[in-house]
Amino acid sequence: MKRLCSAILLGTIAVLPLTGCGGPGTEFDGTNTTSVGDGTTLKVYNWGEYTGENLLQNFEEEYHCTVIEETFDSNEMMYTKLEAGDQYDVLVPSDYMIQRLLNEDMLQPLDYGIIGNIDLLQEDCSGLPYDPENEYSIPYFWGSVGIVYVKDKVDRTALEQKGWEILRDPQYKDRIYMYDSERDSFMIALKSLGYSMNTDNKAELYEAYDWLVEQRELVSPIYVTDEVIDNMLNENKDLGVMYSGDAAYVLAENDNLGYYEPQQGTNIWSDAMVIPKNAANPDLANEFINYVLTYEASQDNTETVGYTSSNAEVFRDESSEGGMFYQNEAYIPRSGYDKDEVFEDNTTIRQLLSDLWIKVKAG
Amino acid sequence: MNRFRAMAYPYVLFISILVVIPMLLIIAYAFTVEGTAFFQHQFTLDNFARFFSDAVFLQVLVRSLRVAVFTTIVCLILGYPAAYCIAKSERRQGILILIITLPTWINMLVRTYAWVGILQDNGLLNAVLGTLGLGQLHLMYTDFAVVLGMVYNFIPFMILEISAALSKMDPSYLEAAEDLGANRRQSFLHVTLPLSLPGIISGITLVFLPAVSAFFIPKLLGGGSYVLVGNIIETEFLTAGNWSFGSALSLIMAIIIMLSIYLTRRIDRNRGEVS
Amino acid sequence: MKQKQRRITPGRVLVALLILFLYAPILYTVVFSFNDSRSLTRFTGFSLQWYEKMFTSKTTMSAIVMTFLVAILATAISTAIGTVTIIGLSRCRKLLRGTVNMINDIVIMNPDIVTGIGLLMFFATMTVRKGFLTLLLAHIMFCTPYVMLTVAPRLRSLDPNLADAALDLGCNPLQAITKVIVPQLMPGITAGALIAFTMSFDDFVISYFVTGNGVQNISILVYTMSKRVNPSINAISTLVIVIITIALILINILPPLWQRINRKKEEPV
Repeated sequence: MKRLCSAILLGTIAVLPLTGCGGPGTEFDGTNTTSVGDGTTLKVYNWGEYTGENLLQNFEEEYHCTVIEETFDSNEMMYTKLEAGDQYDVLVPSDYMIQRLLNEDMLQPLDYGIIGNIDLLQEDCSGLPYDPENEYSIPYFWGSVGIVYVKDKVDRTALEQKGWEILRDPQYKDRIYMYDSERDSFMIALKSLGYSMNTDNKAELYEAYDWLVEQRELVSPIYVTDEVIDNMLNENKDLGVMYSGDAAYVLAENDNLGYYEPQQGTNIWSDAMVIPKNAANPDLANEFINYVLTYEASQDNTETVGYTSSNAEVFRDESSEGGMFYQNEAYIPRSGYDKDEVFEDNTTIRQLLSDLWIKVKAG
Repeated sequence: MNRFRAMAYPYVLFISILVVIPMLLIIAYAFTVEGTAFFQHQFTLDNFARFFSDAVFLQVLVRSLRVAVFTTIVCLILGYPAAYCIAKSERRQGILILIITLPTWINMLVRTYAWVGILQDNGLLNAVLGTLGLGQLHLMYTDFAVVLGMVYNFIPFMILEISAALSKMDPSYLEAAEDLGANRRQSFLHVTLPLSLPGIISGITLVFLPAVSAFFIPKLLGGGSYVLVGNIIETEFLTAGNWSFGSALSLIMAIIIMLSIYLTRRIDRNRGEVS
Repeated sequence: MKQKQRRITPGRVLVALLILFLYAPILYTVVFSFNDSRSLTRFTGFSLQWYEKMFTSKTTMSAIVMTFLVAILATAISTAIGTVTIIGLSRCRKLLRGTVNMINDIVIMNPDIVTGIGLLMFFATMTVRKGFLTLLLAHIMFCTPYVMLTVAPRLRSLDPNLADAALDLGCNPLQAITKVIVPQLMPGITAGALIAFTMSFDDFVISYFVTGNGVQNISILVYTMSKRVNPSINAISTLVIVIITIALILINILPPLWQRINRKKEEPV
């Protein structure tokens, strides 16, 4: 009976053109015909809609291989699957998650014998604190967090004066989007109070909690995540906290919007390519990373997705005259400012933050 | 009949493996401290203590139950007459059922995004109201939006359940009632309604249970501050990385709801015995 | 009782309004699938770019095929299992029946994330290679309770002696089930299958954690798109609507035809 069932199932799958351009060895039928180490299949685990239109296809053609791309929408989702033993060749997690993976010894060093294009990497996003020598990771996209505002509703000088505090200005009651994540919200509160966003000092965290509760009482912001993109684009509210990459997109679409990184400092984030320890095809993975660094691939990425390129030349060309992001204030993240920080993975306060954030929202 | 009894066994085996074992793992998490790493656990009741030590969690749970109850009631009030009508329309019954179900095959996220576009302050609905000169409505991020999203998502199930129970109802029951001098209202109350009661109970179960733990609809239509228990569980697992507390929360929720179902079923059974 | 067929009754108005309510967002989705810009809420102009994007994307097309494949198989299997089990269960002792019902309720109630993580840990412990089979198994697991819940009320309204009567009249047990009981349960079975299909088709969280090796369904694509949500999800939905509508039209045209042919054959007898 069982055999009959699986025969029917396998038969059905075989008929379907699922494998696309995949040759033998790419069936996903749950049996043990794994593609481990055959050198022709690359498994990339990346954010959804985070790859250039033709990038994967071009790579497949150039390197005569098959790329299987799976997607995630939070670092923690990715981590969960990785920890359960799922095997991938290249991951693109964010800064603090890379630090966590490194701490847990889940990554392998990159092979600079293969990655010759490392020289093409934009200087501002190389040697970041979580991996000072770029031994394990090479940035894919990077940027900052800032405030997107409607130009004819919000005064730029007031914004520059108040910085993050403008998000608590009763003048904008009901006109503000906050980012619904404990990390980003506490970053704003801590920076506004003049503390490090990586603090584990409980007193400071509680002060930040009070800041957020007060904010809620003063301006009743709407806590959103990715809906902020469409909402700000349509000017549904006057102010919104956004990631620079998303901001670059809305600014490109709507001239009446501006982007500002407050003087109190902000989060400089990066999503970087890494190779997990259990990668089946580390050589191909290194080739892939090398390929993403090329001008052609980086340009495809940045123009499709709208996030800031990690390739120095692409970055320059796109942000100068004739480029797709010419005069787009959100495309060029602030760099070298000493109040800006990169997120660290901090296990001890993770639970406290999440509890406090629930209380801010539900209280 | 013993021969029929054996038909249930394969499924019992199946769920023992695929449901009970994973469930035990979750329960194990609820009673242990820290760690997504396997086999590094210590017994603790901290997760439960944490739930009861902070009023906010209880508040959220109560709010979730309230929203779910409200959603269920609206679904029942609108769904029952609709299902009744559909079940009565002999010929078109099949096609009507399909028409009602079809929207549920579109991704829930896509449908909810569409509601965002419709309900927004400068969305479709307000545009229509504006052209008609009827003024503006502020609907997004309100209780109304959340309940609307929930009802939208779950009402097809209520209709399906009830119309399945009502369809091809033996007409002789109604005829008998009529012969005995019952008017339409009486025959509905004493014949149709009791016969559809099991369907109603199934419908309520199918709306209420998923509504309690829904997290996407409140998040999109209610805004981030519309925290329901489903949202907390989701965050505990996916952003806070605290599987233990997430498990404990879902366990507490399960116990409370199982109790309420048990009570509902008892009512059903008692009624069943009377008729 | 003898009213004209086409009268406008309050009930019919209600059904019509409900259908309008259910289809308004769908219509919205279809319209925005032709949007020129990326926005999901601001229509800037007509364009077919999202369709082009969908049809040229290998990942998207295979996700669409995979979604239908899993949904159809999961529905068929869970409907069969569910129906058989609920019939068997009605003859079992109260304790077993109660326990199974309770477990089913838990499956329905559990937040998907909990079920998903539970299965993830389970498959991890078993070191199963994740992919199509694990996905299908999980779908069967969470669809079957819905089928059982839906068939149960019908079964309960049946005369418990029906099967015995059939057996006494010389049916074998298989015949008793297929020829006597199942036809009586049919409305429940159909409704159960429809709900199972919905659950399977729309599931994201559980699927996400039990699948792997490039096997993805539409929901996974749509949900993980969150960084750059765009109208291609509307294009996918529109395609799904078109496929299902065609399938439904076929299903609704063919069986009556079939019946008519059969009836003609049977009539002389």
